[in-house]
Parts: sequence; C-alpha cells; structure tokens
Amino acid sequence: MNGHPTRDEDFDLYALGALEGAEKQALESHVAFCLGCAQKLADARGRIAILALAAPPAKASAVVKEHLLQQIRAAREGGGAAPIEMKPQPPRPAALSRWTAILLPIAAALAIAALLLWNANRRLDSQLAALRASMQQEQQQLQSARDVASLITAQDTITVQLAPQPAMPHGAAHVMYNAKMGMLMYEGQIPPAPAAKSYQLWLVPASGNPISCGVFNPVGGQPDHWMTRLPKGIQPKTFAVTLEPSGGMPQPTGPKVLVGAPS
Amino acid sequence: MSRETASESRASDAALIDRLVQRDESALAVLYDRYAGVISSVVHRILRDNQAVEEILQDIFLQLWNAASRFDASRGSLPAWLVVIARNRAISRLRRHNPAAGDALLEGMAVSPFNLESSAARQQLVERVKASIENLPKEQRAAVELAFFEGLTHSEIAARTGDPLGTVKTRLRSALETLRRTLHSAAQSVNQRT
Repeated sequence: MNGHPTRDEDFDLYALGALEGAEKQALESHVAFCLGCAQKLADARGRIAILALAAPPAKASAVVKEHLLQQIRAAREGGGAAPIEMKPQPPRPAALSRWTAILLPIAAALAIAALLLWNANRRLDSQLAALRASMQQEQQQLQSARDVASLITAQDTITVQLAPQPAMPHGAAHVMYNAKMGMLMYEGQIPPAPAAKSYQLWLVPASGNPISCGVFNPVGGQPDHWMTRLPKGIQPKTFAVTLEPSGGMPQPTGPKVLVGAPS
Repeated sequence: MSRETASESRASDAALIDRLVQRDESALAVLYDRYAGVISSVVHRILRDNQAVEEILQDIFLQLWNAASRFDASRGSLPAWLVVIARNRAISRLRRHNPAAGDALLEGMAVSPFNLESSAARQQLVERVKASIENLPKEQRAAVELAFFEGLTHSEIAARTGDPLGTVKTRLRSALETLRRTLHSAAQSVNQRT
C-alpha cells in the first residue's frame, strides 16, 4: 500500500481483526506515518467496538467492584501512590472439613505464590511485547526516514514536475525518482477523486508497459506524500497520474490528470 | 447502572476521568456501574467463563485507575476504548495468545459517534445494534460474529466455514459497509433523543 488505503472498510476490517499478512502490515506501516489515516482507524475502532452491544447481556460482578475499591483504599491507607497491581480476589466462604482446614492455608499460600509469579511473569511479558512493538515501529520510522534522506541527497535522483491536463482536476505534484535505487517519492496536492474512483501514478518506461507506482485517494484536499520502491534500473520516459476505478488497475485505462517528463 | 445516583449518572465520562486523575475512587465506582455490564457481556460472549470475565473486568478497571491521566477524553471514547481492550484480552485468552496482544499500547485510541453515558442511550443502542446485525444476510452475519466474537481473520473464517477466501472477504466488506450505514443512522437518531 503506497498511498492511503483506498477503501474505508479497510480500517473497519483492521479494527475487526480480519486483515492479515501483507494487507495488515501495509495498513499498519501506513497508519504509523499518516495522521489522517490514524484518525480513520480510531473512528473504525469506535464503530467496531459498538458491535459489543450485540452480545447477550451479562450482569457485572459486584464482587469485582468491591474488591477493586478495597484494593484502592488499602493502597491509599498504605500511603502508596504507585500503580496498584492486580491481586486475586479473596476466596469465597465455604464449609471446611478437618483436612481442608489443615491443607487450605498451605494450598492458599502456594496458590498466592503461584499467582504472584504468574502475574509478575504476565506483566513482564506484556512490557516486553509492548517494547518490541514500539521498537519495531521506531525501526520502521527510522528506515523510512533513511530512505527519504538517501533519495533526496543522491546526486542521480531526478525531480519531475507533474503538470495538470486540460479539463482535469487542477492539482500540483512532483516525483523524486532514483532509478539505481529503485525508489520514488510522490508529493502533491490534488482534489479528492470522484466517487468510486482512485488516482494512480504510473512510471512510463522508455520501452515496455507503464508500471504502477501507487494508488491513492487524497483526503479533503490535503497534501499527499508517500514513498514506494520499484524494480531497479528502469529509465522513465514519463510519469503520469490517471483517474482509475477505485482500487486501481493493472494498466492505465482512465484519463491523464497530471503528466511530467524528465528534462 | 442502577447504582449510580441521579447526579453521578449525569456526570460525563470526561468529568469522571478528571476525578479519577484526582484519585477519587467514587468516580471509578460510577464508571464501573456504567460500563462493566457491557464489558462483562462481550467478554462472556467470547469466553463463556465467569471467572475469566471477573479477572478481565478487574484488570481493565485497575488499568483505568492507574492510567487515567493518560486517557484524553476529548480525543477518544472511554467505553469504546474499554470494549476494545476487553475484547482483545478475551480473544487473546481464547486463542491462547500472549496477553500482551491485548496491551493498550497496541490498541490505540478509539473514537465513537455514540454517546453511551446514559443508560437510556445504551439501551436504545443495544436494540439498534442487535437489529442491524440480525438484518444482515445470514452468511454475512456469521462472518462478522466469527471475526468479532472469536477473533478470526479472513482466512481462518474461510477455513472454518469452508467458503472460498474471496467470498469471505466480500461478505465481510459488504457486512461492514451495511453496518457502517445503519449504525451511523442509529447514532444520529439516538444522539438526538438523548
């Protein structure tokens, strides 16, 4: 996914947990950099969360509430401002036999020890996974920043201005392209595509068929900027943005909206 | 819900979050009365285990107490956020995933067009949401329920139902498009009335 997700349901599918593999990764890596799409994902989470109301009603436990409030009061009386950790709920009263009266305290002590260990382990696992996720996201951001920097600073990177075509939506854009690195960056501002349509950027090589560089749907006239990788070594004759059916096409079929050629 | 006093039941989530930040435990009690029922319902529907429901409830409300200052009520919906976390925790247990799969850091903010602060609005929405799901074609409804309540992905749903992957994707997309439309209209209607 080089540009924004082309269909709003993609955000709902992600929030639902149905997306997987490359589709899921593409959306995650795009949302990490795009505030507009991060907001769309937050909206989708809220929409999907409401489906919880379809679950058969279950009564909330009064015991849990009481236990929570007791824990908070106990922490306050102990003068602690530190976060309260989850503790097992107190055992419910039951009739004790002689043996259970002897064994119960031992079993309870073992159970508490096991729960404390389990809870500590669970907390550490949770922290570790959160750190891993955060590190992975930061690595992605760093790699992306490195890619942008290397594309911009490379001496053989070309910049091509894309000019609007007559009777087409008026926009302005340019691409930075480095054939040796196989990297392309698009920056531009163009009115939103009509309903059921998407914009698609093409690299038209000196020989052979046009190569799709990305499908995008600008949001509310906001500037778009994204980067993509292409096969290395392709010399462009022209770059063009066309208007295609929503989701894009394998080869251009629609009218040219923006066109530019290397000087 | 019935335990909220008249004045507390009118307190907004944002005001209650502010009180949580001030370490007012009565605000946690109000929020518990307000949302623990919804959370219990969804977790019980996923796990069908009362003990697990209680553990997840306790865990989530402790997290809310401990991290209230990090929740920005102007940017997100508290009930939606609580449901997202509860559902992820429950599905992690169901699928024996690492519990960290349900960590709030990975779940992010959730924005909802629905105001669930009043019990009347919640009740109206329950009916609207149930109707929206029940009105979906049978196969679409099944796909949505497998994804939402069992945490299955596209290909897992296809494997479970024996349907082609493309068919499952189309069904889910169509279902979500319909739900988006009907729930948007429900939000407008309920928000106007409450």
